[in-house]
Amino acid sequence: MLAWRILTHQKGRTALALVGIFMAILLVFVQLGLFFAVPQGGMLLYDNMRFDLLLVSDQYEYQAQPGAFPLTEVDHVHAAPDVAAVTPIYFGVAKWKGGVGGVWPDLFVIGFDPAGHVFLPDSIDRQISVIERPDTMLVDDATRPIFGPLTTSRIVEIGDRVVTIGGQYTLGTGFMGLGVALANPSNFTRLFPGRGLGQVNLAPIRLKSGVDPELAAVKLRKLLGAGTQIFTRRELAAQETSYWTTRTSVGLIFGSGLLIAIVVGIMVVYQIVSTQVSRQLPQFATLKAIGYDDSALAATVATMSLLIVAAAFAPALAVGVWVYRLIREQTLLPVTMTAGHAATVLVAALAMAGMAALLALGGLRRADPADVF
Amino acid sequence: MSTASASATRAHLRPVPLAWRNLTANRRRLARSGAGIGFAVLLMLMQLGFEQAFFDSSLQVIRGLDGDLFLQSAHKYQFATQDPFSAAALDAAKRVPGVASARPLYADWYDVFWKNPSNGKMFPVRALAFDPDQPIFLFAGVNDRREELKSADAILIDRRARRFLGMNSAPVQSELNGVTVRIVGDFALGPDFQSDGSIIMGDRTFNCLIPGGGGKPPKIETGVIKLAAGADPIKVQSALEQALPSAIAVMTKPELIAFERRFQAAVSSAGPIFAIGTVVGFVVGMLISYQVTYTDVSDQLPQYATLKAIGFPTRFLLRVVLEQAALNGLAGWFPAWLGGILLYRLIGEVALLPMRMSLAITFLSLGLTLGMCLISAAIAVRRVIAADPAEVF
Repeated sequence: MLAWRILTHQKGRTALALVGIFMAILLVFVQLGLFFAVPQGGMLLYDNMRFDLLLVSDQYEYQAQPGAFPLTEVDHVHAAPDVAAVTPIYFGVAKWKGGVGGVWPDLFVIGFDPAGHVFLPDSIDRQISVIERPDTMLVDDATRPIFGPLTTSRIVEIGDRVVTIGGQYTLGTGFMGLGVALANPSNFTRLFPGRGLGQVNLAPIRLKSGVDPELAAVKLRKLLGAGTQIFTRRELAAQETSYWTTRTSVGLIFGSGLLIAIVVGIMVVYQIVSTQVSRQLPQFATLKAIGYDDSALAATVATMSLLIVAAAFAPALAVGVWVYRLIREQTLLPVTMTAGHAATVLVAALAMAGMAALLALGGLRRADPADVF
Repeated sequence: MSTASASATRAHLRPVPLAWRNLTANRRRLARSGAGIGFAVLLMLMQLGFEQAFFDSSLQVIRGLDGDLFLQSAHKYQFATQDPFSAAALDAAKRVPGVASARPLYADWYDVFWKNPSNGKMFPVRALAFDPDQPIFLFAGVNDRREELKSADAILIDRRARRFLGMNSAPVQSELNGVTVRIVGDFALGPDFQSDGSIIMGDRTFNCLIPGGGGKPPKIETGVIKLAAGADPIKVQSALEQALPSAIAVMTKPELIAFERRFQAAVSSAGPIFAIGTVVGFVVGMLISYQVTYTDVSDQLPQYATLKAIGFPTRFLLRVVLEQAALNGLAGWFPAWLGGILLYRLIGEVALLPMRMSLAITFLSLGLTLGMCLISAAIAVRRVIAADPAEVF
């Protein structure tokens, strides 16, 4: 196999090529990971909730800006035959008057009835009795250091209430803020007295087993008044992703990074393959002279590109997993390596190889046996 | 005679810019290597530009305030969060010697909802307010509207707000928190990573909007202080700190900017995200540049060996290779820099980010480019050093 022979003929040169492609693929991994991490960060709360359908206001923009609707709508849903359970959830922001150095960072407070078991994490379910205590809250363990120690039974003034930290739970702060806490409805209203429980931000709905969410959504929509809407999980994911990628700068920032990464990748592969072609030009010309046609040579060049890319992909994937973990720790963004990412990057890498091979073939086609010698 | 002619030849040879000749000998190859390095530079430029824009966007309101010293609650951990103080503190500040004026900025980041006049959807906006008799904003178009802003239903809108707010279509009327407001003008501020757009209004309008105001004058978010001519800002700052309760922090403008920048750097992911991107761009650039230099050195090995054989010291050859790598870097950097300016403008308009090619980015990217080219050339050049004239032929 000619492509293999050329690549293994000069091992140092090929190793160099591999490092180059490896970096380009890694670059694509990083940009792609960040691109998807932001909407995924926005989905964090939902990914940790049990529900089939979500009832929200028609002013809903994204999770941290959901709008509000009357509690009576929740009652309507509760009475519907398909519905097993529906839990109203309240959001509020209050000053945490115990930050490091005397600052008062803003705390995102989630009010909910823990009896509904709406959250998935074990750390929340195990501490339901703690949430039920008056003026007691659970604090997310990803709450930033600026809030000071999050030790159990620490007493902190939050808003105008004196609150005891009942414990920590593990969910993540997503885009809700720098610190998040869970409170039961009566503690929530004590914290936000002007607000009451009449206006709900989210109402996750669980359906009876065997009920199709899409059909149930259609039926429930007829039941509800204006000013509300119902998302299936699929629609919700689409809504959050489209918010972060089109309404904010996120799509553009990481999208452009991704595009440049792919172009850089093409340049690197092209640089390497075309160098190989020009160095082996006499040999290629000889092949031409003894009767190989252009397509055979093109196949050799294409195989070379693909071999380099394929060989560089595996280490890039391995290091990518490691870099993702690094980014996760540094930024608290949920950058995770999924099979989808790996497949997308592999396709992008093969496309890079193809483009580069096409560009490099320009030089090869001009190889005239008569010229070379 | 022969020595004279030899030295004449040397003198004739000396000014030959060998690196330049090597570089331009094969224009196709130069274009190829320039493009490769250029794209790596462009990648770094984009990351550096985004990082700068991220910080600049969060600092634009502070930069748009016309003051020498600023008062805000000492409990604040960032500028853009509500933590107001009472008017009494501002009155006390006015009496401190060296203070020419102490004016209020009213602000709200969470509770003011703007209705997009074209589709009726509500969005939270950043609401900034001032007493029209005590101007504090540097934004063009605000101070000419002071008379109009005295009526309780007048507002100015941000023509660089995100498009889905519908502020860019020059509406004349809309609603804030359900109250009908007249739009009497606009200004250019743009979104940051917290707010999608802004409203500037007089204190009377602000008072009508904020729930729980109850007819009392609104509480002050920031005190904007101008110094009397010749007053020393540091002395006035410490006099203010003496005169005011400890719950009020007194900062110079650079201190307030540093305070906000520190917060953004500490809590946002922007720093590490864009740093990772820049480093990756640098490494990719190094690899491309290494490839370029290595190929070139290998191709020219007989020539380099010849130069060695006729007596040129290795140092000279080293310099040629490094010079050539630097020139290659410049050939990649310059078009990338021009392309960067273009992309910055384009992205700045589309994403409403304050992207601009600053001197800092220009020099930083140039330094990084030369760095990556020289480091990789230094690694690749070992072949020239090892080149043995006897072996090459």
